[in-house]
Amino acid sequence: MNLGTRKILDRSFTAVGIGSIVLMALALMVVVVPIVSNGVGAMFFTGTVEHRKMLQSEFKRGEPRELAGEVAAAERYRARVYEMLAGFEAEMERMKPEQKAEYEEKYSPVRKTLQELLGPLPGDPAPMLTRFKYGQTRWEKAEERLHDLLYETKWDTSNPDVMSKEYFVSQATGFEGTSLAQLFPYVEKNIRKILLPKFTIYWGFLTDSSVDSHFFGGIWPEIQGTFFLAIGAMLFAFPLGVIAAIYFTEYAKPGFFNSMLRSANSTLAGVPSIVFGMFGLAFFINTLKVSESKSVIAGALTLAIMILPTIIRAAEEAILAVPKTYREASLGLGSTKWNTIATVILPAALPGILTGGVISLGRAAGETAPIIFTAAVSVGSAIGLADVFSSPTPALSWNIYNLASEHEAAAQIRHVQYGMVLALVSIVLLLNLSAIVLRARISKKLKG
Amino acid sequence: MLCVTGNYHENTSFMTEGSAGGNRTNAFVVTSRKRAMQKVSKMAGEGILLGVASFVAVVVLFIFYFVARDAVPFFQIRGFSEFFTSSKWYPADTPGEFGALAIIYGSLMVTLGATLLAVPMGVAAAICLSDILPFSVRQYAKPVIEMLAAIPSVAFGFFALVVMAPLLQNNGGPILMWLWLLLVSPFLFLAVIVGSDLLTTNIADQKRRRQLNLLFMVLFGILSVAFLYQVATILFAIQILTGTNALNVSIILSFMALPTIVSVSEDALQAVGRDLREGSYALGATRAETIIKTILPAASSGILAAVILGVMRALGETMVVWMASGNASHIPSPWFNYLESIRTLTATIAGDMGEADQVTGSARFHVLFAMGLLLLVISFICNFISERIVVRQRKILSGQ
Repeated sequence: MNLGTRKILDRSFTAVGIGSIVLMALALMVVVVPIVSNGVGAMFFTGTVEHRKMLQSEFKRGEPRELAGEVAAAERYRARVYEMLAGFEAEMERMKPEQKAEYEEKYSPVRKTLQELLGPLPGDPAPMLTRFKYGQTRWEKAEERLHDLLYETKWDTSNPDVMSKEYFVSQATGFEGTSLAQLFPYVEKNIRKILLPKFTIYWGFLTDSSVDSHFFGGIWPEIQGTFFLAIGAMLFAFPLGVIAAIYFTEYAKPGFFNSMLRSANSTLAGVPSIVFGMFGLAFFINTLKVSESKSVIAGALTLAIMILPTIIRAAEEAILAVPKTYREASLGLGSTKWNTIATVILPAALPGILTGGVISLGRAAGETAPIIFTAAVSVGSAIGLADVFSSPTPALSWNIYNLASEHEAAAQIRHVQYGMVLALVSIVLLLNLSAIVLRARISKKLKG
Repeated sequence: MLCVTGNYHENTSFMTEGSAGGNRTNAFVVTSRKRAMQKVSKMAGEGILLGVASFVAVVVLFIFYFVARDAVPFFQIRGFSEFFTSSKWYPADTPGEFGALAIIYGSLMVTLGATLLAVPMGVAAAICLSDILPFSVRQYAKPVIEMLAAIPSVAFGFFALVVMAPLLQNNGGPILMWLWLLLVSPFLFLAVIVGSDLLTTNIADQKRRRQLNLLFMVLFGILSVAFLYQVATILFAIQILTGTNALNVSIILSFMALPTIVSVSEDALQAVGRDLREGSYALGATRAETIIKTILPAASSGILAAVILGVMRALGETMVVWMASGNASHIPSPWFNYLESIRTLTATIAGDMGEADQVTGSARFHVLFAMGLLLLVISFICNFISERIVVRQRKILSGQ
């Protein structure tokens, strides 16, 4: 090979290496950016008067008198809509039967969309579910509904070779010549006055419990459940892990038995997370019967077993990183081995051990598979501290899955799902970030 | 005060008996009883430590025992052959059919896909971290990798389901084309340059050699552009019927396996040591040649261990495959079609347990534990192999 080619190869090799790091950073960005940008929308959004009505009647929040004024202002514009609907219904009564049937078929989706947009129309029976008591609470959703109201969606299937294409037909043309034709331009023109959109900051998303399976309200039960599970797991795993690490670093002598213990540790680290869930079900619930069925305690124990190897490894590394001179100085002063460990080595290794603990806490908070069969429940209110031994809890990780995949109206509550994912990701990443900062400080201190 | 502590027994024991006879109790004195107590408490303490440390081993045994205990009834009822050879999975029927071949195949398929995507990238990134980037940049690159490792699997699953799947479904062809062009064309052009150089390397006449080199380069260049274009047009025309497919899951799983692969293979590369690197540089090798011809062979077993750990991560992952693989229990046709929905072992366990749980004792419940046992055994074997490899490499490197 000539020198030029060798140089090109060398350069491109470097480029491939750096490119792959950049690709990893990009992968991180590609995943995190949509989660953050959409997740923020759960708390900061343009809310309509319906949102403020909902807050007032479900959570008793907001200024009642101010709200009453707003509602009255909106009703002034809505009254005209209701009038037009009533007028058209009367007009349909006067039509010939076949013409009436034709218009009724077209009219009922319009009426339904208006219900979704504005809430129950005058004359409707009081809805059973909370989700039907209010119109669209978020402006971007209201705009979607408005589009549904103004245009009919049709599919172009004329060419069988390619996928059918979507196209829109104005609804108003379908009602040409009737009194309802005016409704569409009227709603389009006055939608802002009907719904009164206003920039809203809804901190309650983090502290409220959910209303009508997450259609409204917040995610407090899930956040609390996640904390219970993660902290419960730490309570079991942290002391055990640190003690085991002390044994491995200070007392274990090389030999068959101890190398078996070590490989048991790495085996445990490699067990698939869903298998932990099965074990939790088969052992903690079906055999030990720590609780009747799913419970926080069973989930916390399962998570504890899962994070134990990580804690042991981190604590071992932290203890081994304590300079030998500390140990020798302490023993030289006549202290016993145990005394040295308790008063010299552990305090020196503590920041490192805590770093490992914090990372494991994040892992326990984010893990889903082990709690599916042991602790997680899809709907439920926040549980008290006394209930952890008997009742299951909603948790962020499980409810993200549940809302995104199994909820009956998953597409309508995307903002809640994104908000939950953002909450979970930021809990975990903040824990990890603090661990990284902590470790950077330690390494500086050990160097200096 | 020193006499109370265990290390000084021998020095102080001469005064124990004498002083004990007096009325005055002396804090400095160690009685034989105290000494025995200390010995016992020391033994007890070490025993407790040992007990806690062996707790992990007990847990591993328990996991094997309890998963196997519920898996065995399935094989007793249905035997082995149906589970491993049939791909008819109708557990809800009476009598149910429990052929898991398609499910096992689905697991292997996404694992292979994720490994193929993650290993080249992960090893390249590890090389970059250990040998190419200066230390100051490395400090910022490492947290990126740790962050990627920290993101919960359900967040990745949500991303795959809500962002990735619609994207693949609506713009599948163009995405595949751009991926092809961006990832493959640099390597193809590099191969053209190197190949034409290698073909002309034996020609002695400088001028002729340069001319021929240029000729080959143009020729191969045109050929490779034509090839790229042909494949790109084929890819562009592809329409992906469902976004929740094996490709989607493989891509996301490769993101999740990357951090493991990078950090373990970086450790392996670091362990190779300076002397080999410096020896290679001294012989006139460039950095790329040093890494490819010297360091990678020396670290190959460690990198293999990293790959195995990455494979385990992808195989054992639940949430992403459950949410975004489509959960269709069939073997795609043709068998390498990554654009079809599949179903994996982990997702089946997670998804079916809820329904099977109510009828504890039926084959439907036990078949899930059979799947769990299969996963457990595979991960145990992988772990065992990777650990052996790491130990052996450490021995070889320290032996030199």
